[in-house]
Order: sequence, then C-alpha cells, then structure tokens
Amino acid sequence: MVRALGWLSAVALALGLVMAFGVAPRESTQGNVQRIMYVHPPLAWVAYLAFGVVAVASIVYLARRRAGADRLAHASAEVGVVFTGLAIATGSIWGKPTWGTWWTWDARLTSVAILFVMYLGYLLLRGTIEDGERAARYCAVLGIIAALDMPLVHFSVYWWRTLHQPPSLMKPGGFSGSATILWPLLVNLAAFTVLYAYLVAKRARLLRAETEALA
Amino acid sequence: MPDNWGFVAAAYGLTAAVLLLYWRRLVRKEKELTAGKRIRHGHNQPPSDSAPSVAERSHQPSRTAHPRLDPDTKSSLPTNPTSRAPQS
Repeated sequence: MVRALGWLSAVALALGLVMAFGVAPRESTQGNVQRIMYVHPPLAWVAYLAFGVVAVASIVYLARRRAGADRLAHASAEVGVVFTGLAIATGSIWGKPTWGTWWTWDARLTSVAILFVMYLGYLLLRGTIEDGERAARYCAVLGIIAALDMPLVHFSVYWWRTLHQPPSLMKPGGFSGSATILWPLLVNLAAFTVLYAYLVAKRARLLRAETEALA
Repeated sequence: MPDNWGFVAAAYGLTAAVLLLYWRRLVRKEKELTAGKRIRHGHNQPPSDSAPSVAERSHQPSRTAHPRLDPDTKSSLPTNPTSRAPQS
C-alpha cells in the first residue's frame, strides 16, 4: 500500500512537472517566473492539510488514547514542517523578482512563520519528554492550539493590507484564470497531496517500528 | 518583465532536493530498524546443535574464564611430593 502510494506520487509529480512547463502558458505580466505558482501553493496547501490532520488526530488521541492517532499526529507534524519550510522558501524565491524583496513582515508571511515555529516547537517537545504517554498528551494539546493559527494565516490577506496576493483557488467564486493555468495547478495540488499521504504513511510506519523496537 | 529562469530553477530545485533528502532519511532509518530487528531475532532463537552465531556467542559466558569448582568436589591439596621422597 505504502509502496503503491510512493509510485503513484512519483508519477503524479512527473505529470505535474510536464503540466507546469509544457502545458501552462507564459504569464503576460510576470513572465516565466510565475511558473513557481505550480509548486508554491501546492506546498502551502499540504502544510494546511498536514496541520489540520495533526489537530484532528490530537483530538482523537485525547478522547480515546489511541497510539495510532498519536503516531499519525507526530508523522503529519513532521511532514508538515518540511512542507511549510519549503512553502516559505519558495515564496521568498518568488517574492524577490516580483515584489523586490526576499522577505517582509506582512501579515501573511508573519503568520506562516509563527505557524512554522509552533510546529517546530511541537517536534522539539516530542524530543525532550522521555515519557512517551506524557509527550503524546502535551503534544496533542499543542497540536490543537497551534492549529488555531491556520484561519489567521488564510484570512490574513483579507483582514490586513498585505503584499501577498489573495488565494487563487480557496476563495469565494473560485478560480478566475484560464483552464491552461487551472489544470496544471490542480494536477500539482493532487500530486503533492499524494506525496504527503505517502510520506506520512511511511513515517507513521517507522514510528510504530521504533516503538516496537524500544519495547 | 524578464523571465527570471534562475528563480524558477531555484524554487523547483530546492523543493526536489529537500523532499528527496527527507525521503532518503526515512528509507535509511527504515533499513537501520530492519537490521536491528534481524539481530534481535538472532538473539531470541533457541540454541541449536550447530555452532552458535556471532551474536549468540557474544551473550555466552567466556570459555577462557577460570572455572569455579563446586566446594563439595574440592579435594585436599596434594602434599609436596618432594617432601615424601625417600631419603637416600
């Protein structure tokens, strides 16, 4: 199952690359640098998804004390940190030629940076507490609190004046661009989602094996 | 506006490199755990007639250590043979 997910994500990512560079047109105002859009929003979407999964799995853990839910939260947080870091980095790379700066302390960028630091703290907390049950309980609480930052991240572009553009897809009225831009974006969103599922499944399996090895 | 292909390459290259490194880290950890599990299973196997493996030998008491005699089987020390030698 995990292996099949791995192959599926490899094929989907290859297809996403073909769509981003072969099907999507050169954008008229930004030029080819706009092709970063086919990797940056999918990374940000997976970060949202990962931390959403952490919050739901944490609630399940606190309610039922299932070790599987804790492992899922742990794995999803780790993968989410990787994807959030990449979303920040690719956004910064896109920002330099279009905004003229690598970084600015506007509401969207700052709230994402806070989200990133909170989940880094989540992973650090896991590493510092030796008692597994106590670590799981504390991290579940932190995972739920940290998820409260996600609506702030998403709506920051509406609530404050920011340099960051509003969402392309997750907005009232949907996507307003052409189909040649929409489809490559959707394919890449799907590809990164499958990759997320693969990495989380692999990490969760590894966490289980680690627990069994220590027992 | 210029195309800025360098920025595009940097964004895609960085993403590919980081994701590949993370995936390789998971694969390496998985291999280490599998190897560890194999060694542990080696320890738990019942002793067979054949020669023990290296892992099994490491948990056996050393054969070069001095044997400790059971106190009941101890015999008195032999007397010095030279002292009983016939006097000529």
